Amino acid sequence: MAEIKRRDEAPKPTKEPKKTETSASGVSRREFLIGSGAGVAGLVIGGVVGNQVIGKPAAPVVEAPAAEVPAEGEESPYKAGYTLVFDSVQCTGCMLCAVACSEKYATFLHPEETANLASLEFARIRPMRFQYVDVINVCSYCNLYEWAEGSSKFPCEAVCPEEAIITVPEGEGEAGYYGMGYKWVDREKCLGIDKCWRCAEICEDQFASGMSFDPIDRKAQVCSRCGGDPECVKACPEPGALSWVPAARNGRYFANTPSDYAELLYRKIYNHVRDL
Amino acid sequence: MAEYFGFTGKIARVDLTNETVTVIEPAEEIYRKFLGGSAMGAYFLFKEGIFDPKLDPLGPDNLLQFMVGPVTGAAPNARITLVTKSAYNIYCASTCGGHFGSELKYAGWDGIQVVGKASKPVYLAVMDDTIEIRDAGHVWGKGVEESELILKSEVLAELESREGMLRDADLNPQWAAMRPPKRLGMHAKRLAHVMAIGPGGENQVWYSCVVTEGARAAGRWGAGAVMGSKNLKAVVVRGTKGHKLADKKTFLALVSGIQKSERGDYFWRSYGTAGIGANSAYVEDAFPIRNWQWCSWADPHVKAIAGPFMDQTSFVRKVSCYGCNLHCLYPVEVTSTDPLMDGTMSDMPDWEAMGMVGGNLGFMEMEGTDPGQPFTGSVKDQAEHLAKLQYTTFLHDNYSLDFIEGGNNLALVMELVQRGFIDKNDLDGIDLKWGDVHAVDEILKKIVTRDGIGDKLAQGTYETARYFAELKGKPEIMNYSMTAHHYGQPAHDVRSPADKNAMEYVTVNRACAHTGGGTAGFKTGDWAAAIAGQNVSAAQNSLVHCQFPAGHWAGSRIDLIKAATGWSDFSDEDLQLVGAREYALSRLFEIHIRQLKDPKAEWDRQVPPRWFNDPLPTGSQKGAVAYEGKPDVLFNEALPAYWKERGWTEDKGVPTLETLKKLGIDDVAGSIASEHL
Repeated sequence: MAEIKRRDEAPKPTKEPKKTETSASGVSRREFLIGSGAGVAGLVIGGVVGNQVIGKPAAPVVEAPAAEVPAEGEESPYKAGYTLVFDSVQCTGCMLCAVACSEKYATFLHPEETANLASLEFARIRPMRFQYVDVINVCSYCNLYEWAEGSSKFPCEAVCPEEAIITVPEGEGEAGYYGMGYKWVDREKCLGIDKCWRCAEICEDQFASGMSFDPIDRKAQVCSRCGGDPECVKACPEPGALSWVPAARNGRYFANTPSDYAELLYRKIYNHVRDL
Repeated sequence: MAEYFGFTGKIARVDLTNETVTVIEPAEEIYRKFLGGSAMGAYFLFKEGIFDPKLDPLGPDNLLQFMVGPVTGAAPNARITLVTKSAYNIYCASTCGGHFGSELKYAGWDGIQVVGKASKPVYLAVMDDTIEIRDAGHVWGKGVEESELILKSEVLAELESREGMLRDADLNPQWAAMRPPKRLGMHAKRLAHVMAIGPGGENQVWYSCVVTEGARAAGRWGAGAVMGSKNLKAVVVRGTKGHKLADKKTFLALVSGIQKSERGDYFWRSYGTAGIGANSAYVEDAFPIRNWQWCSWADPHVKAIAGPFMDQTSFVRKVSCYGCNLHCLYPVEVTSTDPLMDGTMSDMPDWEAMGMVGGNLGFMEMEGTDPGQPFTGSVKDQAEHLAKLQYTTFLHDNYSLDFIEGGNNLALVMELVQRGFIDKNDLDGIDLKWGDVHAVDEILKKIVTRDGIGDKLAQGTYETARYFAELKGKPEIMNYSMTAHHYGQPAHDVRSPADKNAMEYVTVNRACAHTGGGTAGFKTGDWAAAIAGQNVSAAQNSLVHCQFPAGHWAGSRIDLIKAATGWSDFSDEDLQLVGAREYALSRLFEIHIRQLKDPKAEWDRQVPPRWFNDPLPTGSQKGAVAYEGKPDVLFNEALPAYWKERGWTEDKGVPTLETLKKLGIDDVAGSIASEHL
């Protein structure tokens, strides 16, 4: 294999780190993240639906960070604390989201190797067709429950032996790619699928199918929400299929393996019980 | 191997008898001449000697090809073309949408060719360079839908599947204690795409198709029967290698332009082909009703064939092919008071289905009335009529049958019953009356299992008519066979001058195809324009992209080919030549496999007698017959003039050696042409 040139070493912010902003509750987000003792707790919000589903005591409810409204004259569309809401009923399976995502990250990480290559394998979002239903498959940003599972980390993060699945805080990262409090894989630390696939295994065994592997350097890939400005949402031609919104939600509620999700959609849309 | 852009430079050749896979690496010159898809398939039919008249289409020597072209892959509107010698002893080049074509390119193949016959049911698992012949015993006998979903889960790419490595020590103790016991490792991706046959293909019903995504089919000319004859249940593909492009930036910009243009196309984005129904019946007078006895209802209140009515009644989703923003397929769940149909998952129906297994089977009238009478039903009745249509569409799809030929076949039998030529005693006790969906359900079961009379009907409309004509000693039965070149007429009649022209069905290279192109030229007698239209259509089937968005592609097609392949000198003229080559080859193929001495008398005139015998009984074109009632003008003046324009002989329509040389295919087909000139 050709020598791999990494593009994600020593991330350099392209703009000045934002000043710490104060949220409605009077606690700054940075302070809150630190104070909570878990870099991701700020994203665990809502939780009501999840509780109804599993019927256990409520997880600590955390207020949603206020939606980032760019200051006047500021062009940045990058938003922290937003949620990628997807509706697989509206999805038509055209794959434009996956093409846009794959193209963006192939060019970002492997510009030489993919200069003449259009491929879907670099995509972090990947709809899957189960005949009459299309399942939008992307990382749901689900968390473990502290009270039950002993951690509020992402499951993939919790099983990573190298601490390679990280949350890059606001002000750090690469605008338009990662940062803003969203996930990222530290590719220096990731062992690659030839040595370790714990993140993908735990996701697919118990939650969904949010992890994939880069076909060139065989390192893990996960949706970074493009650091708050997701390319897939901009590429989607179907109103309502992909939305980037300040919705309060608990990620566990979204997480289903693709075939489980397809079974649910068959029930919902066609009143059919299918065993997939 | 030369390095290609657009193409992969490799075609897999799978021999099911010897269980071997070899790789064909065509020279660049071959790609330039034939591109891929249908034209490339036609080339291999000659190269591999499939034109041998003695070669049994359902025998092990036949060649079944799944072919894609230079833009299949990252371009939108992807399709795949299946090329083979049909069980009808005609040329088969049948295209199909969905994601399968793109996935095949991503796996690194320009095509898969299958020869031989497996000793037991198998399927092909294509994972990039690796092609495995796997046992398909567990899905043999199952319908297309179920088979596809099972097989989809069995093929994963190298990066998508691993044994479990997690130990409890990797988790928090609390979590480890409550972790569910599935422990399947990494296994959940479902990214493979499947083309499969159902029982119709397995039992080699001549008009069996190959289906993907439940409702998309390489529908016509019976590729499914050839697949079944090889004991090949399905091909499953998962590709991770991507599409190599000479100028990716330009290519993606053009793709984006096509997609943006599609987003403003609310004809397709509203109802897909269901939007044509009412127009065809009431404006063009070309809709198949009761084996084409009528082409419009006397009462335009029949609206179950209209897109808006279908949408209001049943459309639940919109489904796209790879990269397409027209999403022309609308799945439905059938709702009916009849438990046979209620709850069935189906689609639309699309335009051909609503005609061929809708109007043509008499589903749209109230019981005891005919299409010449006023419609007395309510909206609820119309919804039930639509349900019959959607249910019959589902049956054909799930059994993997072509509903165009199948609709003609069933309608023929129904008309023979109506006219008293045959009765239920000739049909194993099934009373096949207009509009009876239960009878249709029963007879289809017999056809796909080749049980009793179903074994005769499994050979298609023309052979069914021949069987009953001989059985009853009544040659006039042949008058009700709505077939041109022995294959069923699609849902566009040629008697009304508002839709297709008879010359279109007479000249198209794939028997009675409705997607051959050139309509405007044929109507005005501008043979050059008609031929250009046909050539573009053939080139689209070689590239391979869909014809529905052709308008959105029109300005970009050549630039896309250039950006994909890097052939900076490729022009519209080159694209025309691709189509012209396919037409010359397919014409010679049919003349040779049938050993036609006088093609015009023996073959070209084999069109539905109804075209000229039965004037339209209702509608705006009442009284119309095909070609203004002048078959002699059609066959003795127009057809030779068309042949001449193509550079074929005027007496037999054989491409001359000079024409073949001009097309650069004299080495491929010259000796065959010499035999027939």
